[in-house]
Amino acid sequence: MRRFKFTAPIMLGMMALAGSAGADPRDDTTVAAQSMRQALSRRVVAYQIDAKLDVAKKTITASETLTYHNLTGQPQQTFPFHLYLNGFQPHSTFTTEANGGVPEEDADPARLGSIIIERIAVAGMGDVTDRMQFTHPDDDNAADRTVMQITLPRPVPAGADVQFTMTFTDKLPRVVARTGYIRDFFIIGQWFPKVGVWWKGAWNCHQFHANTEFFADFGTYDVKLMLPQDEIVGATGGLVTATNNPDGTKTLVFRADDVHDFAWTASPSFRLIEDSWRGSAGTVNIHLLVSPGNMSSAQRFLDSTKGGLRLFDEWIGPYPYDNLTVVDPPHGGLAAGGMEYPTLFTADTFWYVPKGLLLPELTVVHEFAHQYFYGMVGTNEFEEAWLDEGITSYMEAKVMNELYGKGTSIFKFPFMTLGETDDHRVGLLSAGYWHWTDTDPLTRLGWRFYSESSYADVTYGKTNQVLTTLETIIGEETVRRALHTYFLRYRFTHPTGEDFLKTIEDVSGRDLRWYFNQAVYGTNLLDYEILDAHSDLLPVADKAKKDSREGATIYRTFVTVHRKGDFIFPEDVKITFSDKSSVMEHWDGQDRWIRYQYDRPAELVSAEIDPGSQVTLDLNFYNNSYAVNEDHRAIHKLTNIWTFIAEWVGQLLAWLT
Amino acid sequence: MAQLKPRVFLAGARLVWRQQRALWIIYAANLLLAIAGTRGSLWRMGKILNHSVAADRLVHGFDLAAYSELRLHPSMPFEASRQETMFCVFLFVIFMLFATGGLLRTYYEDRPMHAGTFFEACGENFWRLCRLAIYFVIALVPIGILASVAGVEFGRIDRRSISSYSSFYFLAVAIVLLAAMALSARLWFDMAELLAVSEGQENMWRALKSAAKLLRGNFFRLFWVYLRISLVGWIGFWLGLHFWMEHVRPEATAQSLLVSQALIVFWLATRLWQRASGALWLRQYEPQLNVAATSAPEPPIPAEAARLEPASS
Repeated sequence: MRRFKFTAPIMLGMMALAGSAGADPRDDTTVAAQSMRQALSRRVVAYQIDAKLDVAKKTITASETLTYHNLTGQPQQTFPFHLYLNGFQPHSTFTTEANGGVPEEDADPARLGSIIIERIAVAGMGDVTDRMQFTHPDDDNAADRTVMQITLPRPVPAGADVQFTMTFTDKLPRVVARTGYIRDFFIIGQWFPKVGVWWKGAWNCHQFHANTEFFADFGTYDVKLMLPQDEIVGATGGLVTATNNPDGTKTLVFRADDVHDFAWTASPSFRLIEDSWRGSAGTVNIHLLVSPGNMSSAQRFLDSTKGGLRLFDEWIGPYPYDNLTVVDPPHGGLAAGGMEYPTLFTADTFWYVPKGLLLPELTVVHEFAHQYFYGMVGTNEFEEAWLDEGITSYMEAKVMNELYGKGTSIFKFPFMTLGETDDHRVGLLSAGYWHWTDTDPLTRLGWRFYSESSYADVTYGKTNQVLTTLETIIGEETVRRALHTYFLRYRFTHPTGEDFLKTIEDVSGRDLRWYFNQAVYGTNLLDYEILDAHSDLLPVADKAKKDSREGATIYRTFVTVHRKGDFIFPEDVKITFSDKSSVMEHWDGQDRWIRYQYDRPAELVSAEIDPGSQVTLDLNFYNNSYAVNEDHRAIHKLTNIWTFIAEWVGQLLAWLT
Repeated sequence: MAQLKPRVFLAGARLVWRQQRALWIIYAANLLLAIAGTRGSLWRMGKILNHSVAADRLVHGFDLAAYSELRLHPSMPFEASRQETMFCVFLFVIFMLFATGGLLRTYYEDRPMHAGTFFEACGENFWRLCRLAIYFVIALVPIGILASVAGVEFGRIDRRSISSYSSFYFLAVAIVLLAAMALSARLWFDMAELLAVSEGQENMWRALKSAAKLLRGNFFRLFWVYLRISLVGWIGFWLGLHFWMEHVRPEATAQSLLVSQALIVFWLATRLWQRASGALWLRQYEPQLNVAATSAPEPPIPAEAARLEPASS
């Protein structure tokens, strides 16, 4: 159901006035009790945040009450917190890494951000502000202030709750790395002190790095936002109440359950489009916030969002939340685009995107896929980025291929096509799979990759290829079932890479360690080639032995397959003869080479490794086959194009004469 | 003021057609140099593609991933390929500098030239045209500065404006104005080249001044001719490109070759059409210049000079 933007706040405002009677909805025990009964996660944290946005100063002043349930199984006295906004300082680890390893001394002041905690107190222990200490667990950068820890006067017993109350001020940067402002648009992510995760028997609270994202516990969020009345707001979770204040501001209360982050956005220039989709878990209200000039992409955003919802519901599992907010950042704000938060994500578009360029759809599908792999399956994005980015990239390709055609799911023009899976493969090749050797396995810690390019192309692209290639071993349907099982088994928890790989083995019933050791934990390069393929006419003496038919011509055909790389992978080899017969061999790929020999009354036409090019981890598709007769059509086509371009450029430059 | 003959626009096209040998000579040089510049890359690509079944992805349709993978292949050094092509492009530019002298003489005199006469005109005017080309590049510098300023302003508007259209409209207007300025500069220098060739002018500054004087009263007429030809060129080219991409089957290599080369000839012809129109116009305008020069009354002989003048026998 669609509604215009003006009716929603009016209706909600009327509800608020009718139902409030002075009561804070967050104290509604009926709602709270109901929420607890329906809890989807082990709600370790409960955040209550009151925040006020100062549009002119680009600051947020806020108070936060964090109730931490000590489910670690042991007393805890020290608690680390993420202060991500401090990453946007000249000497921070984030800035240093993004700037090639040196601090950015002359950073534009508008791009600086910070979070300052003015006061922190613990219920029953008093003011602990003086006990705040900045730490840097990942490097020796003492200037980095993205991790703060508090050591309490006394420990919190296992099973008990501890309540932190803080006041803090955010200074927002001009939009960088998915947070900040541009003109009248705000995207507020990673903006409040967030406690670390007790994981694998220790606190896991990494500094903010240029190449990493986030990791936090599941819980509940009750967030009250005060901002000017003309702001149109989208946020994680659902809007509970909206109240206009006499001073020209309004107060919006949002509630989100079973999520591990809370982000929000505001702009008076948004156009709000409401829609809905019904899935196996019920109706999902879709809130699309479109920036000025981008309305031509609105329907594309909605269609691809619903396509993603439908296919994930069918293939992976239900989307359990009531709301999904899609945010379209304005022009110039693309640094805020393409980012996921629980039940909210940002898309990417321009004022004009031809229908054959599926950029808006691609971003939506990718960020929606993150609602499952990151949002509900809460993996550690610092340490195992491949688990969310890689699986998401794989699912993005699957959904895009299903919705828009395999081979045409990015570019769909009569003169040129490009599919998702191929695009990820080429990205990986261009990043250095070709020109550099084996630098980083999938399992590298996020901030320790060789380069930003290696991080991006290995975690996104290579993981996609690893899972696509896995389909040739256990079947596409089995991979899908494995992901479905993985999601159902580990949603609302923090699984590891081993949990994922074991799930695949459980579902497939096969031991796949030989594959995972090379593809996931290793840096082996996969490349098989046809080293030699030819037919020789058999001499008469030999012919007599093979075929006694008078006048029969017998050819002895040799096909040699060579393993160029160090990745051992079983391959199919299809050999085709001039009498249209063919043979399919299956090689385990263990040795360095294998030679096939045939004596037949037909010559070799072609030999092809991996017909259909399903083994997308293979570095080079061009050496996977050999056709005896040269086919010049491709080179003639490229000759036409290249010669044309060279001629035209020459004439353009000759205009100067 | 010159009385511009009607239909010099079409007369220029007819002149290109009449003297089409010049068009084909230049086209042949363009084609041969392009082939030379791409030969190395294409030979290397052929070694990869000619025996590979995977090349099929480039034949039926055009799979960008397949092409990207080809370009990333270790035996396809991109930088070397680019340098080979750009070197031959540069050679074509030098060729055009050389050939323009003969070309303009042919159009100005509107008669078929023997090869000897043609190349004599080329050689005679080569250094003059080189100098003018350098001056032209210098003349483009202020336009380049304006383009840079426009770029900065575009960025400023884009950052400040809520709507994404504001900066787009600004950019569209800026591009139109800058293109008009560049076309005007080209027109001026084209006329200077014509004067250098037709009058044998050695001093290029004088040629530029004379061209500026010529254009003073006739700028809009000539600019309109140039603009219309440019529009025909750009629109026709993009229509042809659209036809090639949308309506020629990807596997139809021969058809693609015909269409692509027809586009190149068309593009070249429109440029020559501009040169021919300019030459025609100058030929029609010059008699009026000469008439103006000859009909001016002779200045009186000073009495002193008349007294001292020896009596003629």
